[in-house]
Amino acid sequence: MEIRPILSALMRSKVSMILIGLQVALTLAIVCNALFIIGQRLDLMKRPSGMNEADTFTISSIGFGQSFDVQSTINADLNLLRSLPGVVAAAPTNAFPLSNSGWSSGLSLAPGQRTSTANTAFYFVDASGVSAYGAELVAGRDFKPEEISFRTPNDEVMPRVAIMTRALARQMFPDDSDPVGKSFYFGGEEGEPATVIGIVDKLQAPWVSASMVENTLLLPSILTGGSSSTYLIRTEPGRRDEVMKDVEEKLATANRGRIVRGLRSMEERRSQVYAEDRAMTIILGSVIVALLGITALGIVGMASFWVAQRTRQIGTRRALGATRGDILRYFQTENFIITTVGLIAGGVLAYAFSLWLMDRYQSPRLPWHYVPIGFVCLWALGQLAVLGPALRASRVPPAVATRSV
Amino acid sequence: MFSYYLQLGLRSLRRNPILTALMVLGIALGIGASMTTLTVFYLMGSDPIPWKSSKLHYVQLDNWSPDEGAGSDDRPPDQVTYRDAVALMTAAKADRQAAMYKISLPVQPENPDVKPFIALGRATYADFFGLFEPPFAYGQPWGRDQDAQHARVIVLSHDTNETLFGGVDSVGKTVRMDGVDYTVVGVLAKWELRVKYYDLTNGAFNNPEEFFMPFTTAIETKRRSTGNNSCWRSPGAGWEAYLDSDCVWIQMWVELDSPARVEEYMAYLNSYVEEQKKLGRFPRPLNNRLPDVKQWMADQEVVSRDVEVQVGLAFAFLVVCLINTIGLLLAKFTRRAGEIGLRRALGASRRQVFMQFLIESGVVGLSGGLIGLVLTGLGLVAVRSLYRQYANVTHLDWAMVMTTIALAILAAILAGLYPTWRACRVQPAAQLKM
Amino acid sequence: MRAGEFVAVTGPSGSGKTTFLNIAGLLEEFTGGEYWLDGVDVRGLDDNARSKLRNEKIGFIFQSFNLIPDLNLFDNVDVPLRYRGFPAAERKRRIEEALSRVGLASRIKHYPSELSGGQQQRVAIARALAGSPRLLMADEPTGNLDSLMARGVMELLEEINRQGTTIVMVTHDPELAARAQRNVHVMDGQVTDLGDEVSLRRQKAATQPDHAAAV
Repeated sequence: MEIRPILSALMRSKVSMILIGLQVALTLAIVCNALFIIGQRLDLMKRPSGMNEADTFTISSIGFGQSFDVQSTINADLNLLRSLPGVVAAAPTNAFPLSNSGWSSGLSLAPGQRTSTANTAFYFVDASGVSAYGAELVAGRDFKPEEISFRTPNDEVMPRVAIMTRALARQMFPDDSDPVGKSFYFGGEEGEPATVIGIVDKLQAPWVSASMVENTLLLPSILTGGSSSTYLIRTEPGRRDEVMKDVEEKLATANRGRIVRGLRSMEERRSQVYAEDRAMTIILGSVIVALLGITALGIVGMASFWVAQRTRQIGTRRALGATRGDILRYFQTENFIITTVGLIAGGVLAYAFSLWLMDRYQSPRLPWHYVPIGFVCLWALGQLAVLGPALRASRVPPAVATRSV
Repeated sequence: MFSYYLQLGLRSLRRNPILTALMVLGIALGIGASMTTLTVFYLMGSDPIPWKSSKLHYVQLDNWSPDEGAGSDDRPPDQVTYRDAVALMTAAKADRQAAMYKISLPVQPENPDVKPFIALGRATYADFFGLFEPPFAYGQPWGRDQDAQHARVIVLSHDTNETLFGGVDSVGKTVRMDGVDYTVVGVLAKWELRVKYYDLTNGAFNNPEEFFMPFTTAIETKRRSTGNNSCWRSPGAGWEAYLDSDCVWIQMWVELDSPARVEEYMAYLNSYVEEQKKLGRFPRPLNNRLPDVKQWMADQEVVSRDVEVQVGLAFAFLVVCLINTIGLLLAKFTRRAGEIGLRRALGASRRQVFMQFLIESGVVGLSGGLIGLVLTGLGLVAVRSLYRQYANVTHLDWAMVMTTIALAILAAILAGLYPTWRACRVQPAAQLKM
Repeated sequence: MRAGEFVAVTGPSGSGKTTFLNIAGLLEEFTGGEYWLDGVDVRGLDDNARSKLRNEKIGFIFQSFNLIPDLNLFDNVDVPLRYRGFPAAERKRRIEEALSRVGLASRIKHYPSELSGGQQQRVAIARALAGSPRLLMADEPTGNLDSLMARGVMELLEEINRQGTTIVMVTHDPELAARAQRNVHVMDGQVTDLGDEVSLRRQKAATQPDHAAAV
């Protein structure tokens, strides 16, 4: 195709070329980076929590008055919950994935160690804990009922046995293929170490944006902060909603000296905890769509203008023997050239944007393949946008050439 | 002349409605996107208490572990220990001071029709009300003497008073919470904060509390904080050990009326920490801070990174829309070279042609701005539904409405400048065939 | 019309001169009659075939030159040759030859706006000649030129005709028409042959206004 003459014609109307080129460049730079951010957020959002989220929900109880006995309430509630039809497992807990609230601390390998080896979330549960989370025990054993005791946040001595996630075990004992039976210390404590008795494949910490989100330690205690308690309940598949209603009503009527609240499914929690990430993907997605739309409309507008401005020229070309296809290709080639120039500038700009984001927000580097994919998309967009005006140009009759001004 | 140009502009815009629609739509979309994000950004970051924000200072003391800092960049912890809070309250070296923490209590209403509920509250000192100036509907804050007496008194929020007492003046009545009766001393009027700047550690966009009670009372009844609590070493067993520990869970604000007072207070804090070092506490180098409200909001990144990125992106989008408009205006004006030549031949000066076309661009901008304003409104509704916690920072105020329109017109005129300049360079003779 | 002729078509404004030109130049389709161009029946040919014929057999010279302002002289003359699909070296040879024939070889890198009207029209003639057409259609070739330039252009056309190219020139200027070998007068779509006794015998449908002579 006749690239050089098109190019030299373009050089005679630099402003229009620069305008479209600039638009394409900015669009590429923004779209690449926005798509990359969207991709990161989607990756975050699709990380599994290690729980059976579909069938699990939580509910809390807070007692009031001096006569309220939290321990007997918990025992009674657990008996009630475990007797309800549809309930597979119910456990008292202090925290769970996707809740952004819980207790974390450091673990170390030696007594009195000054800096901890790993940070982890603590989940205080009873012997049904692993089952209620729906976590998969891949090594060692579960807690036994006789290992369970009540504790408050002010108790100093931690339980001496624990189950940890594979990720935490790998960080604590990187050289050991079998961490079961290994010992560790809580923070800088001294004396007898605690022992790992089991490993679960995966169970996220409550804080989804923390770097230690895969580190969780399960401990055999029922933690009671004041008069409140929280239960994690896993139901038979498909019966969650029905059980939820039932549980709320039964707990409320079982004991009138407390408030039952916080009835929420894990699915609801997931959507809440990732609400900002989802919002970001939706907003960025809308910006991308609007941007591509505006750029396409810009190309349509400018190309229509060029066609209108060059009607006589097109007629002359036709008179001189250009076929309709020649005219169509002329405008398509022209668009391709402008888009390509813009895309090259945009590629540079995309990496510049990425560097700025890296510098300011410590975000990861834009992977190289986003830019070539962006090239292809914008080439396609440009060709699609120019098609209408170019077809109109190809229909300019050659007799236009003899028309007087 | 202005109205003549305006007429010409409107007529010209009507002449090719599709091109006009494209231009107006481009500006409207760009304006809508950038103003939506800018509104959120502005309301999040704007000074929540402009008349005294530079006098309110947050107290940060670095009592953290000798082995690692509390925050990145060697920042001290974002809360203080009970020990230090009480020491600073007792010394009372500031013009006003209040330690505070977040609590939640079950409320047992007397009215049997109202079911018991959990209320979120703030345990604080009498000075809280002087520091942050919440408006009172009835009664008044409790006094400093009641702080000292651990008095069972309470200030209710407007909504809590609505729930418990149907909104009547409830001063003097009692509210039973977790088995203890508290006497109402004051009821707040509606108190809406865009940013809950006095407790940024527990949710910057939460609403103010449902009740306020003396800090000393909450401690006496062993109310643990329901907010963030961080310890760098084990606090030891029991409530007393916890109070005595290096765990941080209390926010501390002071009012210092002049820069000199800030310096004095800083000196006091430093000497306090030096004293404590002698007792074996504060193992880290001296690192006390007294950020004012705006500094504290910046430190705590109240305006989230996502919002910043969105603002940047929206303005880049606006730039694309403007480039688009420049192109389309250029196309439109170039097509009218003949008209311009004729006007010039008939005696219009270059300046007059310039004004005519600039006003035409302005009309495009104004229309784009008005539609953009509607889009901004819709955009804010969308943001509100996407980020439920942003309800207080997704409203248009007059300043933002005016900014929107001004930005749109400015944008369109900027976009129109080059095409207009090109238009008025048309030679009168060139376009006229003799 | 015979090969090698120089025919002038005259007539007042609106008489159908341009229509005649458009049909003879294959720019428009016609509704009746028949038209043989250099041994090819062009009736019913599709757009692409007619474009090809225009490109190979007809050269155009327009009243307002119709040079492409964004292209320099070389590229302007190149336009029809590109569509012809000649190889680069052949195109270059033809362009240089055509431009030197009209005396503008030294201006090859200039843009049309840098030339006088007469020079522009000579470029247009070079463009028309570069493809070695059988037939040159000239539409008021001197209409936008002053008399001095006009004479130069006419002399150039006459020389081209002498070298064997058939020329059809549409004009309203009787003086110019007089310089042609044969004059055809169009009035209200009706054709009268004035300058040659060989009248339009082979014209089949004289009642239709939109008919053209056959070659």
